Amino acid sequence: MTKLGQWLWGLALLGSAWAALALGPLGPRVPPPCRQVLLPLPVYLLVAFGCYSLATVGYRLATFNDCEEAAAELQEHIGAARADLRRRGLQF
Amino acid sequence: MATATDQVVGFGLVAFSLVLFVYYTIWIIILPFIDSDHGIHQYFLPREYAVIIPVVAGLLLLLFIGECYLCSSNWRFLN
Repeated sequence: MTKLGQWLWGLALLGSAWAALALGPLGPRVPPPCRQVLLPLPVYLLVAFGCYSLATVGYRLATFNDCEEAAAELQEHIGAARADLRRRGLQF
Repeated sequence: MATATDQVVGFGLVAFSLVLFVYYTIWIIILPFIDSDHGIHQYFLPREYAVIIPVVAGLLLLLFIGECYLCSSNWRFLN
């Protein structure tokens, strides 16, 4: 089974478990505060995942280090390539 | 070291998402277990908004992404 298939299968299982508990016949047997937590649970998980994504993006942005040696080496390569092409007659 | 702007923006995003997560977690998961006459409930909107606001925000985000895609000047080439 492909990864997509696995994800969809897992989502279908969790979704049907949630639906059975929250919307289905077992509904009234769940204690009221737990029911109030259970109903918005998919939206909550989505928001939590969004917050985690945003935090990860922000953290990686803040801790991404400059690679000064690689930048200098790249500029050197660019200069060498420019000189080579100019020698072969390409106009810049 | 990332530039100062990058660090400010990055850690700002982390702080914002942390605050959002804590607020939303308390709203959805913790409040139902607290008696309704406790003072903490005054800091939170009625629970319907806990579902309506993310759904509307998600729809707006999707619309915005779709509009950027459809109205970009390269659309004829990408299509």
